[in-house]
Parts: sequence; C-alpha cells; structure tokens
Amino acid sequence: MLNKLALSGIKHRLRDYTVLFSGLMIASAIFYMFMSLATNQAFLSSNSPAAATSFIFGFGIVLLAIITIVYVNYANTFLLSMRQKEYGMFMMLGAKSSKISRMIFVETFAIGAISTLIGSAIGVLATGFVGRWLINLLDMKVKHFSSFYLPALLWTLLFFIVIFMFSAIRNSVSLRRTKVLTLLNRDSQPVKIKRNGVMKAVQALLGLILLAVGYFTMYFSGHNPGFIYLGIPIALVTIVAGTYFTINAFVTAIIVMLKRNTKYSQKGLNNFTLSQLSFRINDYTKILSMVSIMFALALGAITVGLGFNNQIDNVVNGQNYYDVQVTNPNATQEKNIKQLSIQKKDTYNFKSDGKAVYYRNSQFKSQPIGYANMNVDTMVFKLKKSSDPAKNSNAAYELMNTRLPKYRTMEAKFVSDTEYAAVKGQESTTVLIRTTSFKNNLPMIKQISKDEIKRFPELKNAGGDKYSAYTLVNGFFSGLEFMGFFLGIAFLAMLASCLMFKILSGANGDVKRYSMLYKIGTRQKVLRSTINKEIGVLFSVPAILGIIHVLIGLQLFVKLLYKPYTNIEIPFAIFLVLYLGYYFLTRYLYKKIVLK
Amino acid sequence: MQKIVDVQNVEKIYGKAGEKQFKALSDVNFEVKPGEFVGIMGASGSGKTTLLNILSTLDTPTSGQVEIAGEDITKLNNNQMADFRANKIGFIFQDFNLLENLTAYENIALPLALQNTAAKKIKPAVQSIAEKLGLTDILNHYPTELSGGQKQRVAAARALVHEPSIVFGDEPTGALDSKSARALLDTLTKINREDNVSILLVTHDPFSASFCDRILFIKDGEIGQELKKEENSRAEFYQEILDSLGTFAE
Ligand SMILES: Nc1ncnc2c1ncn2[C@@H]1O[C@H](COP(=O)(O)OP(=O)(O)OP(=O)(O)O)[C@@H](O)[C@H]1O
Ligand SMILES: [Mg+2]
Repeated sequence: MLNKLALSGIKHRLRDYTVLFSGLMIASAIFYMFMSLATNQAFLSSNSPAAATSFIFGFGIVLLAIITIVYVNYANTFLLSMRQKEYGMFMMLGAKSSKISRMIFVETFAIGAISTLIGSAIGVLATGFVGRWLINLLDMKVKHFSSFYLPALLWTLLFFIVIFMFSAIRNSVSLRRTKVLTLLNRDSQPVKIKRNGVMKAVQALLGLILLAVGYFTMYFSGHNPGFIYLGIPIALVTIVAGTYFTINAFVTAIIVMLKRNTKYSQKGLNNFTLSQLSFRINDYTKILSMVSIMFALALGAITVGLGFNNQIDNVVNGQNYYDVQVTNPNATQEKNIKQLSIQKKDTYNFKSDGKAVYYRNSQFKSQPIGYANMNVDTMVFKLKKSSDPAKNSNAAYELMNTRLPKYRTMEAKFVSDTEYAAVKGQESTTVLIRTTSFKNNLPMIKQISKDEIKRFPELKNAGGDKYSAYTLVNGFFSGLEFMGFFLGIAFLAMLASCLMFKILSGANGDVKRYSMLYKIGTRQKVLRSTINKEIGVLFSVPAILGIIHVLIGLQLFVKLLYKPYTNIEIPFAIFLVLYLGYYFLTRYLYKKIVLK
Repeated sequence: MQKIVDVQNVEKIYGKAGEKQFKALSDVNFEVKPGEFVGIMGASGSGKTTLLNILSTLDTPTSGQVEIAGEDITKLNNNQMADFRANKIGFIFQDFNLLENLTAYENIALPLALQNTAAKKIKPAVQSIAEKLGLTDILNHYPTELSGGQKQRVAAARALVHEPSIVFGDEPTGALDSKSARALLDTLTKINREDNVSILLVTHDPFSASFCDRILFIKDGEIGQELKKEENSRAEFYQEILDSLGTFAE
C-alpha cells in the first residue's frame, strides 16, 4: 500500500523527476566521456609525447570525481527536498520509520542505477560524437581513440554505484533520525541570516587584495619562467581564497548597496530579487567559488589546447616560405596549381652534372627567392626575400629543400646564363608557390603534395615541403590539443550542471513565494523576468570571475606558447554557447517548477 | 447606493467537459456595500474558498457575473486580472504568506512597489499603516523573528497599505490562538469603522464571524441564509450565529 502511494507520488512529480534523471544522466555521461580518455593508456601514450599527460589526467580524474560527488550530493538534496514532506506525512499517519527509510533507500538507489546506466550509454554516443566533431573541426590526427572503451564503462558504473550507495544510506539514515514535524515543516524552517557589516567589509577588501596578489603572481611568473614553480601554488591559493571572499562579501556588499538605494529597490520586485539573491549568495558562496575556479581551469585547458594549435601554424610557417613545391610539374599538377589563390609564384631551373647543381643568377635577380627565418629563442619568424642566395645561407637552405632528395647533398652553384648553357646534364624545373593562406588552401595543397610523392616516392621519407612539415607537427600537437578540448568541455558541462542543480534544488522552496506574489497581483511577465534576473546573476558571477581568471592566467604562458591570446574567441565562444545553454535550461526548468 | 461587490448567478463547475465534473457553486447571488464587514460561513467543502478565489480573480466562474468596484472582473485578461488584484484587492491568508527573506517593512511595502509607487511615498504609507496596526517597533524584523499574531498583523498591513477597494480574508484567524485572533479581529473592525474599508471574511469560526455586520451562510454551493447584526451587541450576535448554525446544519 505504502509502496503504491510512494509510486503515485512519483507520478505527480514527474516533471521534477525528469529534471533529476536528466541531470544525473548528464553527470554519468560526462564522467564516462572523461574516463574513456583518461583510462585509455594506448590513447594517452600514442598521442602525447609529454610524460606529464598521465599525471594531468590523474589530476583530472580526482577533480572530476570531487565535482561529481558534490553534484550527486546536490541532486540528492533536490530529491530529499521533494520527498521529505510526503514521507513525513506517511510517518505521521503511522508508517514505521524503518519502513520509510527502506523506501527512500530503494528509491535513491534505483534512481541512481537507472540514470547511470542510461547516462553511460549516452556517454558512449556523446564521446563518439564530440570526438569526431573535434577531430574534424581542428583537422587533428588522433590515434587509438575509441568511443566505446570497456574499462572506462566499468569504472563509471562502479564509481556511480558506490556514490549512490552512500547517498542512499545517507538519505535513509537522515529520514530515520529526523523528527516527523521537522520533515513536515522543513520548507518553512527559518533561514538564519547573519548581519555582520564589519566582517563583511574586511572580507570584501581581503578578497580583492588576494585576487590582486594572485593575478600579479601569474603575470610575474609568466614573464620570469624561473619563478613558475613557486608562482603557481601561490597563485592557486590566493585566487581560490580571493574568489571565495569576493563572492561572499563583495557581491553581498553590492546587493546591500542596491537595496539601500530605495529609488531602485522599491520599484516592482527589485527588492524581492535582491533579497532572494542575498539569501542565495550566503548559501551559494562555496559552489559559486568552486564553479568560477573550475571554469577558469576548464577554459584555460581549452585555450591552452588551442594555443598548441596556433603553435602548429607558427612552427609550420616558420619552416617554409613556400606552401607548395613541385619538380617538373605534370599537367594535372599545373591544373591544380591554377586553383590555388597565389600570392607569389617563382620558377627556377637548375642543371646537375652529378657533383653539383647549377642555378642561373638571372632567375634570382628577376624573382627573388623568399625564405623564412625563425628566431629559435623567441619562436618568432620573419619572412624575407633574397636575390642572391649564394651569399645568403638561409635562402640557400630554403632552396636546397625544394630539390629532390638526391640533389640536396650536392653543392649549389649560381652561374651566369652563358656558363649555365655550357653545363652538360639534366635540367629540372622547380615551381614554388606561396598562397595567400596555407590554411585556406590546405585541401588543394594536400592534393598536390600527394601527387608529388606519387611521382617521386623518395620524397615520402625525405619531406621538405610545407605540407609534410605540417603533417608532422600536427600529429605531434593534436593529441595535446584534443585532450585540452575534451577535458575542458567535460569539466564545463559538469560544472554548469552542478550549478543548475544547486539552483533547482532551491526551487521547491520558492513555489510558495511565487504563488503568493502571483496572488497579490504580480503579472506573470514580471515574475518571469524576476526569475531570469535572479538566475542570470547566479550564472554570471562565476562566469565573469572565471573569465577574468583565464585572461590573466594566460600570462603564465606568454613565454611558453606563441601568442597565447590568439584565437581566444574560439574557446570563449564554445564556453559561452555551452554555458548559455545551461542558463536557458536552468531558467526553463526553474520556471516549470515554480510557476503554474 | 453603489455596490463594492455584486455577484449574480455565479456557477462554478470543476473538471473539463467529458471528464468527471463537480459543481462547487450552483447559483450564488449577493452584494457587499461600501464599508460593510461581511462574513461567509459554511461547512467544509461548501464552496467558500471557491467563491473567494472567483471574487479575487484567481479563478473564473463557469457562468454568471461578478462586479467589483464597478468593474466586471469575469471579462479581464490575465494581465488585467493581475493589475486588478494589485490595485483593488487586499488579501489576508490563513498561513500569513509573508516572504521570509524580506523584513516586515519590505513585506508591507511590496504592493506599493508592485504599483511602482514613488519611493518617497512608500515610506509614509507603510509607517502610517504600521502605526495603526501597532507594528512600528517590529518593522525591521524578519518574519521568522515574529509571533504568529504579529505575522498576521503584518499580513493585514500588507493587505491594507495600498488602500484597496476591498479586503478578502480566507480564515485569517485559522492559525492564531484565541488572544491573537481577537486582537486581529479588533484591528480589522477598527479599520473597517474608521477608514470605511470593506471587508469580506470567510470563516468556520462563529467567534470570528460575530465581528461582522452581516453573515452569509453557504450550503451546497448556494447562499442559504443571511444573518444581520443590526443593533445587537457582539455577544448577542455570537449567540445568534451559534443558534442558526445549529438549525442550518440540519
Ligand atoms: N480544483 C478543484 N477541482 C475539483 N474540485 C474542487 C477543486 N477545488 C475544490 N473542489 C471541490 O469543490 C468543493 C468546494 O471546495 P472549497 O475549497 O471551496 O470548500 P471550502 O468551503 O473552502 O471548504 P473548507 O472549509 O474545508 O476550506 C469541494 O467539494 C472540493 O472538493
Ligand atoms: Mg477553504
């Protein structure tokens, strides 16, 4: 009988349960996604040259596990906030508390098990999808990546079963211990409000100072790499503490200030929104700080991952001036070359007598050869031109690599037209092309390079052209980049859902407030905009702090990465799209729960 | 004389056509004049809350007409209904319904803020109603720091602060002990006499009802009987109510 009642309770709250289930499914899906990379040793070792990778992933697992536990904990609170009244009622009607605690145990565990199973399946699909998307998007070379990886699945199931076991035990114990009356009235339990102005002012100031110290440390360590081992721990501690105090005190201070401004606060529901927020902030400080720090880490991971991508361009462009080089092009190649958007096209002839190769000086006078000059210290390259490669070793080196391998070891001589005519030997034509953009012309460049290798198989190992340099470097950095992106996205999604749940778990308590506001004559539109504002603030506080952390945190990499701020809009756009998605979802679900 | 509330042939049927239907109000007719203090009594399930929800635009009648302060409220759209509640009606609920994250002052000021009253005018309005209801000393307290009686007086202040055409109460004394209930009823009576505020009270309780000028008894979705205080004292009226409850129940 009681079981039937409990089940019918679930039916009435189908909407809330949908929220709960989907949240937990997202959690296990993300956990699986991450584990599918982290536990796949073959993938890790073949895609990353750095020994640190295993360590980074180990660290990632620990962080993600902690976040997941916090997350499930919020989900669990949400469940209890939903059910306690009903179970309290059963107990008041005389149901034995042991029976009730068994029921909540079964309910919690069943919800956990079902959502984990479905979530892991979604995880397998999502891993495949996200993986392929990233690989295509960034033209990456990734080996041993598979979306279905059994050990990862087993780890995910085990991990979730264990935490749900604990949650179930916790729920049943807490129900058994709590007095029936408390269960029945929990919504209306007073929330203690602390009003300690001086303390708050000190905290606000301290928060800002700590943040300033942390930011400065990151800036300083970035520019003085020797300081980095001391700098990172200092920055980590000061920024974590600074974020906490800033959110706890500084944001509260702003709310209090707005409340004092009666012109603003006494208008419409502004005062209500502000009060909701100041109550929330007290309760949310921890999660908001966690979210903003983790966001910074996730966003940082993506940005740095992308930094490696920029590195690819830099290394490749610093290697070769010309994007395409062809020896004695055939008709197909000529046709393909016409399809490129050409910036500079140079054609040189040379003869070889078996000991040396002979170029004509006049050809370099009329078409100076371009070359890339890389400064190894700064990793910055300059593009230059020379009309006399005989006197310019960099230009001569660039020219050497344009020849077929068998001619590369020969000495290059630059002679007059008459001397050239006198040389006996086979003549070759080298066509060199610099396009307006290597990236944009990549598919055709790839085609031409492939054809060239087909014609001269010895080029396969010798390389020399820009495309082979690109393939080499891309393979080297793609693994790192892929991991950075994957890690970042997994974290981001997890944290945003964490925040979502925390907000939703308070929604049940808000139903009464909003229904009262409705009764005393607040328009639905006004209620909705109040909710939007409130949730908007809760989402934007950690986002703003997180973005500032990242922007300044990138200073750490100024010496390590080539221009760490290039293309920063890509990770930020991914971040914003995901985050906004969660904001709108939270808003929608919250309204579904709170408004009629 | 003009009427504040005019209810004609109101019928309320719960449940959609084709489903199981229930007629909560079958044919209700009555009126309230300006400055009247009217009570509605009836057994549980007789349709009191249903009627009050209709009068306060929280629900719509299946058929019939309801005019409040000269306005036909059955023809309003959702926004107009909300504005109507905000401007013309004051509410006192059984379970106070204060917002526990606002102070008493802020709770009372809420209806004015909703009407976008100028901040300058809010303060004197809140203070004057608070003085009348004896709340001046507790204005900065949060609801959790107040007793049930104080909470209900704050709720009453909130219902009165924007000078509504009529105040509705659904069992406002239901959650109070007899002393606090008495204090609240005295206050309501005082406001009714001195400021000529019309009040419509739904109650089970004959003692609460005895403070009214007139009582409507509702039974099976219809107004069955009407009792007037006239020149009686409150105690005599109380006895009269008890007597008619006895006969009415049969
Ligand atoms: N939303 C609804 N759907 C269907 N029937 C309803 C609904 N609300 C109330 N009723 C029915 O209408 C009748 C009148 O209900 P109402 O709440 O008005 O009674 P009441 O006089 O306020 O009772 P009480 O004194 O117990 O509060 C009851 O029989 C109730 O079951
Ligand atoms: Mg009722």
